[in-house]
Amino acid sequence: MPDTSSRILVPVGESSTFRNTVAYAVREARRIAAETGEESTVHFVYPVRWQLVDESERSAADAVADALERARVWANDDLDYDDDGDLDAEDVSVSIETAVVGEDRYLFSPNDFAEVLLEYAHDRGLDRIVLDPEYQPGGSAPMLQPLEFELARSGLLVEEAPVDRVVERGRLPSRANVSKALAMFGVSFGFYLLLAGVFDTFNLVTGAVSAGVVTAVFARISFVNTPSATGTVARIARFLLYVPYLLWEIVKANFSVAYIILHPDLPIDPEMQRYRAAIWGDLSVTTLANSITLTPGTLTVDMDRDSLIIHSLTGSARDGLAGGALERAVRFVFYGRSAARIPTPAERGTIASWTDDDQTDGDE
Amino acid sequence: MTPLEYLVVGLVLAGVFFSFVAVVGIIRLPDLYTRAHATSKSDTLGTVLSLGGIALLFGAEVSAVKTVLLLLFMLITNPTAAHAIARAAHDQGIEPWTASDEEGD
Repeated sequence: MPDTSSRILVPVGESSTFRNTVAYAVREARRIAAETGEESTVHFVYPVRWQLVDESERSAADAVADALERARVWANDDLDYDDDGDLDAEDVSVSIETAVVGEDRYLFSPNDFAEVLLEYAHDRGLDRIVLDPEYQPGGSAPMLQPLEFELARSGLLVEEAPVDRVVERGRLPSRANVSKALAMFGVSFGFYLLLAGVFDTFNLVTGAVSAGVVTAVFARISFVNTPSATGTVARIARFLLYVPYLLWEIVKANFSVAYIILHPDLPIDPEMQRYRAAIWGDLSVTTLANSITLTPGTLTVDMDRDSLIIHSLTGSARDGLAGGALERAVRFVFYGRSAARIPTPAERGTIASWTDDDQTDGDE
Repeated sequence: MTPLEYLVVGLVLAGVFFSFVAVVGIIRLPDLYTRAHATSKSDTLGTVLSLGGIALLFGAEVSAVKTVLLLLFMLITNPTAAHAIARAAHDQGIEPWTASDEEGD
């Protein structure tokens, strides 16, 4: 019977009911270990959505380590302290493991999260997944149901921990807070005044009212992470350095495309390529994909899990892409100078020509 | 004409040139993906150059700032639209044209 499985995986995230989920998973592991006499194991796994490459991401890395450490402490508490009274801690062997997954790729859709979790479960021989009912890996985007669906397709036993939901949304860090509201208000107010062009009382008042409405409606959903003032200013400064560079690349490459198009022989050699970019995060991937499209000779066709599908017009455009100058520049904008030193796509071997065979492989 | 006007005329002419290249590209290139190259890039640069010329003509005015905003907007939306079209074609399973197709004809 599948529900007697005692090899349990628990995805970890910020959630108000996670304490109870830990208790449930450990209780199940103990119950089954006591019934069957086999060793059971509970793995707490944290799928991260970003790459920990930069010092400014250090606090995020600490938060992940804290969450895993907390899960371990709680689980050990539950093992030592026997609340039923009919299980003897000496007889059962339950091991607790913690892990971080998804550091090396860009997790975006429920599909991506399910994939890294299942990969981990498969490697460790885990066959039961206990989900926290308030688990939200995608920040403010609702993701639990599609994630459950994707996980269940694998044939593993998937369940939501039967815990009482304590709704304390206001206190959780992924919900609306002051810096999100301030950032949203500032941006929309500034944009309004820019369009108005005149800073009289009427525009200031109507602008404040409009920006207030926008903030009330969108502050919760526009940001996944809480924006930090210094990080944002540094990013904008680096972005301003990036824009002239991008413009120059666009102009340069446009001349080569104009040459190709106006050439009597039309010397083109198009090809599709799959390109696994060393870029993590919604905004940075979008920036890279759009920059690639704007730089003539390369066109982003699709975003397939962690890789971009790119259509290139000529061989020299492909070489330029493999050289990774654009990717490095985007990394510099979003992660700072240290991240710009990661090797180029050609050196990493993460760029290859793409055919339909790859697609069928990926669906399995 | 002042030097500024020469610059503006130069920018607008360059813009017209790249828009022309985009149109020629749409007619000459063999399939949807390669045509998307022409529309997304040459067209973007053409529009951006023309708008840049207009912003210079406005000088230090609010209109110039608005034109620059418009220009930024084009820079963001044009590749996104090209991406959406190419992606739709990709999802439909349309095979990209390759150099070997030409030899077959």
